[in-house]
Amino acid sequence: MKIKILFSFVLFLALIGACEPKTEEFIGNKGDADFSRYIALGNSLTSGYADGALYKSAQSMSYPAILAQQFKKVGGGDFIQPIVENEDGLFDGKLVLGYSMDCRGESSLSPIDADGNPVGYPAAIQPIGYTVNNLGVPGAKVTHLIFSGYGNPLGLQQDPPTANPYFVRMASNTGASVLAEAMKQNPTFFTLWIGNNDVLGYATSGGENNTSNESITPEATFSYAYELLINTLTSNGAKGALANIPDITAIPFFNTIPAMGLLLDENAANALNDAYHQAEMLIQSMGLPNFSYGFHFKAGYNAFVIEDRNFPYPVPAALRVRQAKPNELILLTTPQDSIKCAGMGSFNIEKQHPYGIPQQFVLDEEEIANIQNAVKAYNNIIHQLATQKNLAFVDVANLLERAKSGISYDGLIFDTKYITGGVFSLDGIHLTPQGAAIVANYFIEAINKQYHANIPKAEITQYPGITYPD
Amino acid sequence: MKKISLIVILAIMNCSGLFAGGYQVRLQGARQSGMGLTGTSLISGASDIFYNPGSLSFLSNKFEFTAGGNLVFSSVEFRSLESDYIAKTDNPASTPFFFYGAGKISNNWAAGLGIYTPYGSKAQWPEDWSGRYLIQNIALSSIYFQPTLSYQITDNLSLGAGLVWVIGSVDLQKALPYNEHSYVQLNGSATAFGFNIGVLFKPTQTIHIGVDYRSKIEISLEDGDAEFHLPSSITSIIPTNNKFSSSLPLPANLDFGISWQVSQRLLLSLEMNWVMWNCYDTLTFTFAQSGELLNNKNPRLYNNTVIPRAGLEYQIQSKLKIRTGIYYDDSPANDDYFSPETVTLNTLGFTFGLTYHPIENLNIDLSFVQLMGME
Repeated sequence: MKIKILFSFVLFLALIGACEPKTEEFIGNKGDADFSRYIALGNSLTSGYADGALYKSAQSMSYPAILAQQFKKVGGGDFIQPIVENEDGLFDGKLVLGYSMDCRGESSLSPIDADGNPVGYPAAIQPIGYTVNNLGVPGAKVTHLIFSGYGNPLGLQQDPPTANPYFVRMASNTGASVLAEAMKQNPTFFTLWIGNNDVLGYATSGGENNTSNESITPEATFSYAYELLINTLTSNGAKGALANIPDITAIPFFNTIPAMGLLLDENAANALNDAYHQAEMLIQSMGLPNFSYGFHFKAGYNAFVIEDRNFPYPVPAALRVRQAKPNELILLTTPQDSIKCAGMGSFNIEKQHPYGIPQQFVLDEEEIANIQNAVKAYNNIIHQLATQKNLAFVDVANLLERAKSGISYDGLIFDTKYITGGVFSLDGIHLTPQGAAIVANYFIEAINKQYHANIPKAEITQYPGITYPD
Repeated sequence: MKKISLIVILAIMNCSGLFAGGYQVRLQGARQSGMGLTGTSLISGASDIFYNPGSLSFLSNKFEFTAGGNLVFSSVEFRSLESDYIAKTDNPASTPFFFYGAGKISNNWAAGLGIYTPYGSKAQWPEDWSGRYLIQNIALSSIYFQPTLSYQITDNLSLGAGLVWVIGSVDLQKALPYNEHSYVQLNGSATAFGFNIGVLFKPTQTIHIGVDYRSKIEISLEDGDAEFHLPSSITSIIPTNNKFSSSLPLPANLDFGISWQVSQRLLLSLEMNWVMWNCYDTLTFTFAQSGELLNNKNPRLYNNTVIPRAGLEYQIQSKLKIRTGIYYDDSPANDDYFSPETVTLNTLGFTFGLTYHPIENLNIDLSFVQLMGME
């Protein structure tokens, strides 16, 4: 049988010539604003302070530095920062993630002091000798920015100090204010994010009756100083962006140790109930026959015992305790070893008396309300002035609110949790570089909207978050 | 008579090309490729196993084999809408291939086997690119095995059906945010069944109508391997060796085609392909251990697409046929969600082809596809 075979040779060439995707190119545009001389004013958040210290790499990724980098793409000028030539910190050393051993001999991954040599006195307050665009001063409150002498080294020795060592380093003369340093450079654009410390100092020292005499800046004072700042900054026609104050009680510093964090087993719970029964009998013997703490400890999670500054009876201080309410906040700085091994938050076995978490580590309901009310009042002032002066309004309060339930960028989910949340650095208050990029993008959104600009956003994932050790 | 065709397909692409419509590749035969990738109403031989099994019983040769491979170089560029950031993939060449063999069993019956790779995608992004936490690189592949039977009911009506058995696999790597070198490597494969049925109807001598339906096939990966590369400080929370499950849908296609032999020399072919991309709703990864930390859902919300195609074939002289065609392939991707695993670009395709028959028993086929990416 003869089989015919038909060969078919096919050369199939799919050559794609004009196949460059015709996607639209991003065209940057400065709109009605001029970024040639950009000045950033603010506090530690603006300075690039992170992980409990001001150090080089975190400064170089501060939100104003990221902003300036993006401004540069639409005609922005150079942005000089008072960089600390040290990765270990200025004054204080920074925190890193590492292993530490607790009082029970258990080792765990937690923030620890980095080994290193932070720049100390007197080198740390040596004036840097050049003009800077980033005038963020760690610790600054709104009134500090207008205070002449905030950079006077003699003020450091006053009690309380009238100067700020970070600004002493930056000030061009002893009589300079932060605002004057800004105006000297005749800015065309400014950002101002100030006011956090006007409540934060109070909050991080535990609110009322705190040991560091920190109080909340009264609304009228805030308003006066803030308005003066804005009037001066805009006096030469500069445009700018004002950021408001987030609800600081939502940051990890106040939300990592839960009020209901006292974990007990059956035996420990019974022992605590007995111990407080003894304490009650002692108070009853002081002429209060019907006294009861009303505690009932059980196996599982219980509310911590805290010092009660409103305890109604004149008994010895150690006995004036109550249990924390679920919505009350325990500070990140509360000594963990005292909780784990000395009975802080439950009962001091050694000295046989109640051991409430000291007030300086607790924000109670009233203190939280004081903070939130002040922030609300400040934010009204900031918003009003932004509207009045046609300045971009950066709603950082809204950003933090959204972050509570998680915001996703490029496959990463950011939230307000300590360490794993990615926004806040190891001090639980200041931003990671990724957090700074998120904030910078929020500024850019507001500036683009207000000034009809098209400033490119920063790529958040190009900045580091928290690094875990090997 | 036997017909053996060997097809060398060289698809050289500098942007997106054949994967324009999500991750589907439709280049399965030289003639169809020249005619705008129409084929549902054509009688083209063994490759009808893919385009329309209903046409297979009209096979003109006793046996016919056709095989081919594509060498696809594709590159994807990512441009952010909100910034000047640009990243470009450096993709390895992918090699979709096909083999079709068919034979007449009787006057009315034909049988065949198709082995082909209609879905696949490869993407390899730069190591430091912004989307590395979504994807660093990915290779999706599927091999279809389709035994097929076709029966000619009357002179002008024929049915065909094929059982499709698929081996699908995924190999994916993405960065993790624990330190600069953290990443996870996922790979797994699975098999699934589907079908391909078609009908060819000739209402007149010169008009052919074809309808073909290729079912959706869900590749369900169970027990895939997940290898985590992590700093040691986090391995107590996330195990380094884990298992994952995921599912990748290969969408159903409904094709409707009509062709008209206008004259002895001229054949026109019109076609619509409905691709049911809406099955690609979310890409979900579920892990066996530490699921609460690792499980993730990536919304895709692809849209169904309709691809219009037109093609013609013209016999210039007894030894030469030329072909041309055009089609428009809408991207199924949802604008609100970035899917870095595939190219998602609207494309306009122009196709050209010819068959030269210089001597008995030899055909030389040339095809050419020109794609234009559209915004």
